[in-house]
Amino acid sequence: MEVDKEETQNQQQKHQQQVHLFYCVESEELARKVAGYSDLITLQSINWRNFDDGFPNLFINNAEDLRGQHVAFLACFSSPGVIFEQLSVIYALPRLFVASFTLVLPFFPTGSFERMEEEGDVATAFTMARILSNIPISRGGPTSLVIYDIHALQERFYFGDQVLPLFVTGIPLLKQRLLQLPESDKIAVAFPDDGAWKRFHKLLDHFPMVVCVKVREGDDRIVRIKEGNPAGCHVVIVDDLVQSGGTLIECQKVLAAHGAAKVSAYVTHGVFPKRSWERFAHKNEGGMENAFAYFWITDSCPHTVKAITNKRPFEVLSLAGSIADVLLI
Amino acid sequence: MAATPSLHSTSTSASSTASRKILSHYSNIYNSRSPKLPSLLFKTKSQATITIRIRCDAQNWSAGYVSAATNHHLHSIQNPSPPSSFSIPSASSSSSESSPSKRVCLFFCAETKPLAQRIAAESDSIELRSISWRTFDDGFPNLFIPNAHGIRGQHVAFLASFSSPKVIFEQLSIIYALPKLFISSFTLVLPFFPTGTSERMEDEGDVATAFTLARILSNIPASRGGPTSLVTFDIHALQERYYFGDNILPCFENGIPLLKNRLQELPDSDNIAIAFPDDGAWKRFHKQLQHFPTIICAKVREGDQRIVRIKEGNPQGRHVVIVDDLVQSGGTLVECQKILVNHGAAKISAYVTHGIFPNTSWERFEYDDGGDPGAGLSYFWITDSCPLTVKEVMNKRPFEVLSLADSIAAALQIGQLF
Repeated sequence: MEVDKEETQNQQQKHQQQVHLFYCVESEELARKVAGYSDLITLQSINWRNFDDGFPNLFINNAEDLRGQHVAFLACFSSPGVIFEQLSVIYALPRLFVASFTLVLPFFPTGSFERMEEEGDVATAFTMARILSNIPISRGGPTSLVIYDIHALQERFYFGDQVLPLFVTGIPLLKQRLLQLPESDKIAVAFPDDGAWKRFHKLLDHFPMVVCVKVREGDDRIVRIKEGNPAGCHVVIVDDLVQSGGTLIECQKVLAAHGAAKVSAYVTHGVFPKRSWERFAHKNEGGMENAFAYFWITDSCPHTVKAITNKRPFEVLSLAGSIADVLLI
Repeated sequence: MAATPSLHSTSTSASSTASRKILSHYSNIYNSRSPKLPSLLFKTKSQATITIRIRCDAQNWSAGYVSAATNHHLHSIQNPSPPSSFSIPSASSSSSESSPSKRVCLFFCAETKPLAQRIAAESDSIELRSISWRTFDDGFPNLFIPNAHGIRGQHVAFLASFSSPKVIFEQLSIIYALPKLFISSFTLVLPFFPTGTSERMEDEGDVATAFTLARILSNIPASRGGPTSLVTFDIHALQERYYFGDNILPCFENGIPLLKNRLQELPDSDNIAIAFPDDGAWKRFHKQLQHFPTIICAKVREGDQRIVRIKEGNPQGRHVVIVDDLVQSGGTLVECQKILVNHGAAKISAYVTHGIFPNTSWERFEYDDGGDPGAGLSYFWITDSCPLTVKEVMNKRPFEVLSLADSIAAALQIGQLF
């Protein structure tokens, strides 16, 4: 009798913890990986179509079955054009009488270039945060919003009270990967600027550190080493994201000039607009262009992942396990 | 405001009469160009202070008084007869020199620039302002509002056009930023509210994108002047007005007055009949067009087919104008045209407020210059709510564009002068 009760309770708990995961078209591969981590996460589908006038024609399959269930949506705002259709689903799901709603947005775009320097500068990061803060609440309360390595730490304050942001980081994935490198590598971590140091040094403090800085020399901006010594080390440059990669290349040059044995890079978000990843790709075996030994990115930016798969020095560290853990909290 | 005439009584009716006398006495010192609202201070015999404020908009003036002694709320005295009898400068909507209209800074996007220019041309008090619209390499907008300091304390408006999902985010960033620049009020003019035109909420999984858009707009930050006003024309589904939250004030306008003006100009204006393609259109518009003979069409099912029939009315010998809020591919209009011709219509024209015409579907509409109403339309009137279409059909018969500029300029002037 006792055993049966326990089993039923376990099953009930399991049933409660089940998460129904919806996803946008771009994130299908990552969604499958996430669902692969746990039986408790099941994939659901949406019909993504367009009317003739270009506006979305959307249908959530099995909507009635979502009542009382935990629901999540894996979004990807890779360009302004795809925001509206995903937003329509994000605003609709919580109102299907679900038990709770979680929005996983691995990469929070906007704000990575903007400088609020004058009155008149428009912070699109504010627009984005406002749109997300307006997600309707569900029976479970405010929507949980999961974001990896948000670019500007102050952006966390742009969100209103109706959402619960959960700011997570991809650094554990890097640490795991570094453990797999040959012991002979003397690993040091380099930060391209103070911002990156502020953001990450506490998570990586067991490694020797090098901090770079951009200084102005006349009209030029050049990278210098502010602190630390890369001599003889396998130096891994760590930052939250990469756009065209110019900063990384400058850092690599300086580190090599100061005696780094090998230089690699890790960024959580490989934005790489306009195929700018190409300047990092290895052209031939052991050539002078092969400046980076490894270039690690996560799968937060699916377009880039598609482009660089199996292209050295790139390696993709997947967020799937981390996302699965968060969904099962 | 020099002399202080005395009021002999503070009772309501006597004060009203006294107020009028005072107003006509002081009408010549009323400065219509003064940015501040003129107010006249009077002391009664008992030295209680009464303040009279004068409001004037395009058509009417009104005066109210507040008695400081008794803490009355502002009482409003409307002018019961035309302004000229009180020798107060009469305000007409065309002469802005004499009417103290509020100055409005009008921002716009690339698509709406031509319409914005037409609006500004309608009134001296509407001033165009520019925005720097650029894009970062990653595709996200890089926006700057020049002279942002200069709009503090001003009435500000933005003329938007959501012609496709991908232009929404950049315009939304401006719409969310402007109210927070310490302006005195914010009006969003969105002539055409897209989404919801083809959707049907029939099953639980249907996603109403109209709800998404209304929600996004309902979340515009408030400005010093309070909630944003949203001006939109002929919203497709009347219930969509209820999708908006309480922090936005929708102002639902319609384009029919433009059509009526145009019809009056036609040589055969006395032979016009109005046809509605379905009951929805009839419900929406019949009251404003009730002095015309009316024809109502309906779609009926015959087996697997849906065909258009005439439910009511007779088009025989008439110049029939089919009226609807919008047109997509135009299939419905073409079906209506056929059935009207079969029943003897002499000429067919069409009016829609919003010419959406995805995928250049406007091309199917030929011009009939008389004699063959089955082959073409005499006129196809659209407004300039959908600027991308206007660009394509401008100067192409049978299309004629009726501009919303005047109507929008008037809507921007609604409100107080404070």
